[in-house]
Amino acid sequence: MSHDGHHSVVIPAPGPEFVPHTVAHHFDTPVQEFQSAKLGFWLFLATEILLFGGLFAAYFYYHEVYPETFRLGGQQLDWKLGAINTTVLLLSSWTMAMGVRSAQTSQKQKTLMFCGLTVVGALAFMVIKFFEYKAKHEHGFVVFSELFAPYDQATGSLAWFKDYDGVMAGVPHGHLFFAIYLTMTAIHGLHVIIGAGLILWIMVGAAKGRFHNGYFLPVDLVGLYWHLVDLIWIFLFPLLYLVP
Amino acid sequence: MTTNVPVIDTHAHHAPEAGGTNYLNNRSGFWSWAGTLDHKRIGLMYLVGVSIAFLCGGLFALLVRLHLWEPKGMLFDNAQYNQIFTLHGAFMVFLFVIPAIPGSLGNMVLPLMLGAKDVALPRLNLLSFYLWLTGAVLATLAIVLGGFDTGWTFYTPYSLYTQQAVVTIGLAIFVLGFSSIFTGLNFIVTVHKLRAPGLTWFRMPLFVWALYATSLLQVLATPVLGITVLLVAFERLYHIGIFDPRLGGDPVLFEHFFWFYSHPAVYIMVLPAFGIISELVSVHSRKPLFGYKLIAFSSLAIAIISFLVWGHHMFTSGQSTYAMFAFSFLTFFVAIPTAIKEFSWVATIWKGSIALNSPMLYTLAFLIIFAIGGLTGVILGALNVDIHLHDTYFVVAHFHYVMMGSIALAFFAGLHHWWPKMFGVMYDEFLAKIACAIIFIGFNATFLPQFIMGSRGMPRRYATYVPDYAPYHAASTVGVIILTVGIGMMVFYLVASLFQGKKAMQNQWGGVTLDWLCPTPPPLENFDVPPKVVHEVYDYSTLDYQSMQTPVR
Amino acid sequence: MFALLTQDPARTPGHIENPAPPLAVDTYGQLPKLASTFDHVDGLFYFTYIVCIFFFVVIVGVIAVSVVLYRRKTWDQPALSNVTHNTPLEVVWTVIPLIIVMVMFAWGFKGSLDMTNVPEAASRNLYKATAKQWNWTFTYPNGQQSFGEVWVEVDKPVAFATESTDVLHAFYLPQMRVKRDVIPGRSQVVWFEPKEVGDYHLFCAEYCGNDHSKMYAQLHVVSAEEFAKKPWDKWDDSTPAAAAKSGESLYKQLCASCHSVNGIPGVGPSWKGLFTKNADGTFTGRQREVLVGGQKQTITVDDAYIIESIKTPMAKIVAEEPYNRGGMSAFDNIEDRKIAGLIQYMKSLAEAK
Repeated sequence: MSHDGHHSVVIPAPGPEFVPHTVAHHFDTPVQEFQSAKLGFWLFLATEILLFGGLFAAYFYYHEVYPETFRLGGQQLDWKLGAINTTVLLLSSWTMAMGVRSAQTSQKQKTLMFCGLTVVGALAFMVIKFFEYKAKHEHGFVVFSELFAPYDQATGSLAWFKDYDGVMAGVPHGHLFFAIYLTMTAIHGLHVIIGAGLILWIMVGAAKGRFHNGYFLPVDLVGLYWHLVDLIWIFLFPLLYLVP
Repeated sequence: MTTNVPVIDTHAHHAPEAGGTNYLNNRSGFWSWAGTLDHKRIGLMYLVGVSIAFLCGGLFALLVRLHLWEPKGMLFDNAQYNQIFTLHGAFMVFLFVIPAIPGSLGNMVLPLMLGAKDVALPRLNLLSFYLWLTGAVLATLAIVLGGFDTGWTFYTPYSLYTQQAVVTIGLAIFVLGFSSIFTGLNFIVTVHKLRAPGLTWFRMPLFVWALYATSLLQVLATPVLGITVLLVAFERLYHIGIFDPRLGGDPVLFEHFFWFYSHPAVYIMVLPAFGIISELVSVHSRKPLFGYKLIAFSSLAIAIISFLVWGHHMFTSGQSTYAMFAFSFLTFFVAIPTAIKEFSWVATIWKGSIALNSPMLYTLAFLIIFAIGGLTGVILGALNVDIHLHDTYFVVAHFHYVMMGSIALAFFAGLHHWWPKMFGVMYDEFLAKIACAIIFIGFNATFLPQFIMGSRGMPRRYATYVPDYAPYHAASTVGVIILTVGIGMMVFYLVASLFQGKKAMQNQWGGVTLDWLCPTPPPLENFDVPPKVVHEVYDYSTLDYQSMQTPVR
Repeated sequence: MFALLTQDPARTPGHIENPAPPLAVDTYGQLPKLASTFDHVDGLFYFTYIVCIFFFVVIVGVIAVSVVLYRRKTWDQPALSNVTHNTPLEVVWTVIPLIIVMVMFAWGFKGSLDMTNVPEAASRNLYKATAKQWNWTFTYPNGQQSFGEVWVEVDKPVAFATESTDVLHAFYLPQMRVKRDVIPGRSQVVWFEPKEVGDYHLFCAEYCGNDHSKMYAQLHVVSAEEFAKKPWDKWDDSTPAAAAKSGESLYKQLCASCHSVNGIPGVGPSWKGLFTKNADGTFTGRQREVLVGGQKQTITVDDAYIIESIKTPMAKIVAEEPYNRGGMSAFDNIEDRKIAGLIQYMKSLAEAK
């Protein structure tokens, strides 16, 4: 915001299809604005990693306590679907990077195209995830329809963990692996959805010509966020699907 | 020896600005506050919010103490008492002590001290405030939805089984956590990127250093609390089993998660208080702070070590000998930077020019109370002694000496110090000094008896107790009534000053940091002319005495 | 808050009924009089205490002297000195406290090893302390049990394996300087050697819900002769009246925190009116609606139902609000004759009418 008597710095648009950017009033230079936002965003990404860090700590702790449960549980996951999803996310990270590059070089159409491809990647990831969850539902590892049913103290059995085929019967607390699997992948999935939303928001801005070689900060930040989402999956995939 | 003299025309900050506008009166109307991006207005909104939270928490404390007047309890049944003490803890910790100083005084003063026009990310700053507000609303909603009786620590598995609004309060804490994270993140960026020209790291006032160290802790520790309360909520919603022993989970893992945040959180709470005291002993003794660099580094040392001592909250949980060894050793180690600070403050007063005004009286009260709070912490650090004292009133008294006695008193000290800066008016100094004395007496009367009954074995969180401890509980209850009178008085004269306080001076106390060199109250973008720092910090040789006698416009 | 204000104050009976005599205090008035061998706790406590008082006096003294000597007389008075640091002084006040706290650390750590390493003699005298909301059950080395109070022999090291069947508790004996969290799913052993005959408080020190403050037991330290008489084994069921009396004392120790006998609703349903007495001296149980696996049934209260409800409380849950969620944990380790005593006591309540 700008106030009477104070003149903010304006970055001119490189062409008629773009709009100029006004630097926020409390910054003296565009570089200061850029660096501040960038530093702040990196700190935010650090908090995201720490948030997942808590989940990873829980994973490692119970992996130590119930190694058999985790070995057997991991075998019930479909590593092929996981691998496909890893590829999809890696590709979408590349398209996102290309989108940022296109914004930096004032290529509006390319920015829109690469961002659009990234959203397609996010959707593909979620669709594959859906089929994965569906399989877990059908085997009774995570019965989604019973997820919020109250715990039956008398029988001590969980409504959402039925294990129809009895594959986890021989190990203690078989539900723990799937509880951790579900919690981690669901929170990650939520991040994918938020990321896709942010990229759509970037596309709206890009269509209006807000991003160009003079100002591409939001594209850059959303790009970083998307790489983080990718990075977390890079850790989740081997831990859940391959290590066991 | 020189000072922070910004290269600004003295004429510029004494002469009335066109129309005499400042941040308080430049715009009006609801949205000029609710939608403001000005750090000073956001700071004021925080001030109102945390003050209300403090008064609510205080009311709960009063109820707790009145109930404990008799061994059988006076007011409540056990279930109600458990809710009241939980509300006291949760409101005080999450809604007051953690956000109070950074949110209100930090927001107000940090950009001024840096010579900046605002914090680096003003929108995020407003978001932090609204997240705080959302958390406060959710916490209140949790009370309406049946309350919560888990204690502020939410220890599993009790917090998983109790039939109360634990998910709602968990959500509140998650949201409040992100409010805290965003404030910290904002301050870090502001300190890195918006320092005035010439304001090098070692020319920054120590309040800025303290807020910087606090912010690092907020950013690095709070996410773990976030995921912990989220997991407790998931446990309750769909029984993941991570913390539930019926499902193969381990309640001790929860304790580790919880204290991994909540021990650094103690320093999130106390470091800003240290910062305020560092400023105030210097200004009101008119003497450079003794051992500036050592204090600055000790803040960072405390921030780092505080991540490694969480296990000292669990000495009776049956940890391995190695864990006990390491946690106890590091706990004693953290005492050293803390002691250095206390010694440095006292050395600053020595041979100073000590003004016994109300901010300084609050500061001196802090120095005495914090000495007790810190030293009793040393007693608790010893492994064998802690086994006896853990979860007794000795611990309760210790952390109230730190949290209430030290942090709230530092907050009051800072409030009295920057009140004329914020509002351009002075409160009644006479009443302020009396209130400070009453609060000091009331506080000690409340919590000194708790040390005695605690070391004699009175467990904490008891709705009723064996008659052995009755005299100490009674004394403590009398103390809290005195304390309530003192705080009531303080609220009265501070609010009254807004309506009929006399005009403050441009530089009421004779400060030489940038916050006292911009106009009072500050205009929208703080400085009429961008300041440039050419001198070292806390040098009173070039104090502009004229500004101490120039009334605000 | 509304729920808070509308709760019936009579709902939970509240406080400890018959505590041990007031605890004795040591010479200096700060700690309860030590009754075990852990004298290093007191030693280090008072050492630290004196060090703290010394530093406190120094700090407050310097502040007081400064305020008197250097108080600002005129508003524009500058400071007497502008010194910003003094390296030797700063080194001194860093190093000396460091040395002192390292001494405290080593002393405290050594003491804690004494407390956590259970000696052979103590582990041969192993009791079990089972905590549940909100009472204590003690199992003696010979397998016998007592509730709410426990007897140990003086001058003989004793160990307690602590276990919880529900939430966190803590086993705290202030005069023995013993405390250990009781964690569900873990069994942890603490030990001490009682040195003085007497009755001592045993508190729960970890918050465990509604009646946390009522979760109290007494530790009786007795001489070897007294111990040989097995004072915990006083169960008298020679006559129905004696059995009812024994049952009543067990009720007070174990059941009263949740179940009233006068109709006041508690955490669990009241025992009032479970039985009525017939003219011929026999007893008839009341009709009661219960949930069996979620299905409502009407049953007649009899001995078998009560035994089942004690040993497997979730089998038949009282259908009435707010008891229909269950929540009582199983007391499956009570001897049959003691349950019989409890039933006799329930029946005696009918007589009282």
